[in-house]
Amino acid sequence: MPLSYAEREEFYESLVARARRQGIACAITSGMACVAYGVAQATQDCDLLCAPDAAGKFLSLLGEASLHGQLPSYRGHLTPPLDARWLRGGWTSHFVWDAEGAEAYLDIFGVAPRGSSPWETELQGFYAGPHTVAEMKRTNRGKDWPFVTALGAHMLEAKDARGWLHIYDENLLRTFGEVSPAPAEMLKRRPILGLAVANDSRLHAALYAEVQFWHELDRARLRIYEKAVRPYLMAVKKAHVPAGAVLATQHEIRVRCAENHLPTNPLHDYGIDQMISDARAALGEMVQPSTLAWLPDVCEQFKVGTA
Amino acid sequence: MKKTGQQAKAWPPGVRRRVRQAIYDFHVRAFGEEMARVNFLPLAKRRRYVADMVDHAVRKGVKFAKPALGVTP
Repeated sequence: MPLSYAEREEFYESLVARARRQGIACAITSGMACVAYGVAQATQDCDLLCAPDAAGKFLSLLGEASLHGQLPSYRGHLTPPLDARWLRGGWTSHFVWDAEGAEAYLDIFGVAPRGSSPWETELQGFYAGPHTVAEMKRTNRGKDWPFVTALGAHMLEAKDARGWLHIYDENLLRTFGEVSPAPAEMLKRRPILGLAVANDSRLHAALYAEVQFWHELDRARLRIYEKAVRPYLMAVKKAHVPAGAVLATQHEIRVRCAENHLPTNPLHDYGIDQMISDARAALGEMVQPSTLAWLPDVCEQFKVGTA
Repeated sequence: MKKTGQQAKAWPPGVRRRVRQAIYDFHVRAFGEEMARVNFLPLAKRRRYVADMVDHAVRKGVKFAKPALGVTP
């Protein structure tokens, strides 16, 4: 009998509830959280934020988390171990419950990509707060951007001024600019808001440049991690995990491989300033130079968890 | 004391209606009329709609799994 969406959702929520009862800070984010915040996304997997220090406890919990009689496994050769050292460094651990017709996928983050503040401080029920979810959605995938704007509008309606940081639709930005001035703190964090409030004709080009900047930042970040993971990939391939090995055994093998071949924090090693500089250089080749003056200072977005 | 990011004033009813319409128009532009309608449903109905949509897609063979790359966009 195939597993329904509702059953999957219930399973993930029960996992979060059990984890929290054990004192583990965790929260569902991405697509499932978007549904809760007023923007429907068809998704079947679950993205979960878990406090890096609780990685070991969460792994033990996963080792006993049966779904339709199946226990989870690590997914693919690229998946780093669920261990505080790598979670803290921005890696994602992937798990699968691989029952025929009842597959479930769980991706675990320790730090929210691009998160400017600790996600643990703003939970709403089973979910990470909309500010965290919106920051995580500033990816290099065009399909994610309407979700960012929808979350921003949701926040502004709920009187959270940080919603100003997430509106990337020109019409909507102009409407908000007409009905309520952006607070000074938001104008400082996102200079382009000054153009929206002033109904300036340069807004269109500046907004395009800003979105492309985030695309380039994400591309640069992914390149850094993808390069860093290659030796680990080869080591995991060679390690020959015994068929049917329990999660704890899989984990031990991955930790051994990671300790020898996977840098814990490649973004920190590469340099956040260098990554931002790379993204600006790439952007400079595709937008009007004058629009670069309106880009936000994104350093804060890469500080949490990468120190 | 205000929470981080909290806005001070509530909008008057006319402004609120205008903003609400602008947000709805954005949802139509970004997601299409049907999903805009869904996004403005009460949470329980929205969740049920998404559940039906995903279950139908899975029955038709749609795969939702993302690649496991160790790093996520």
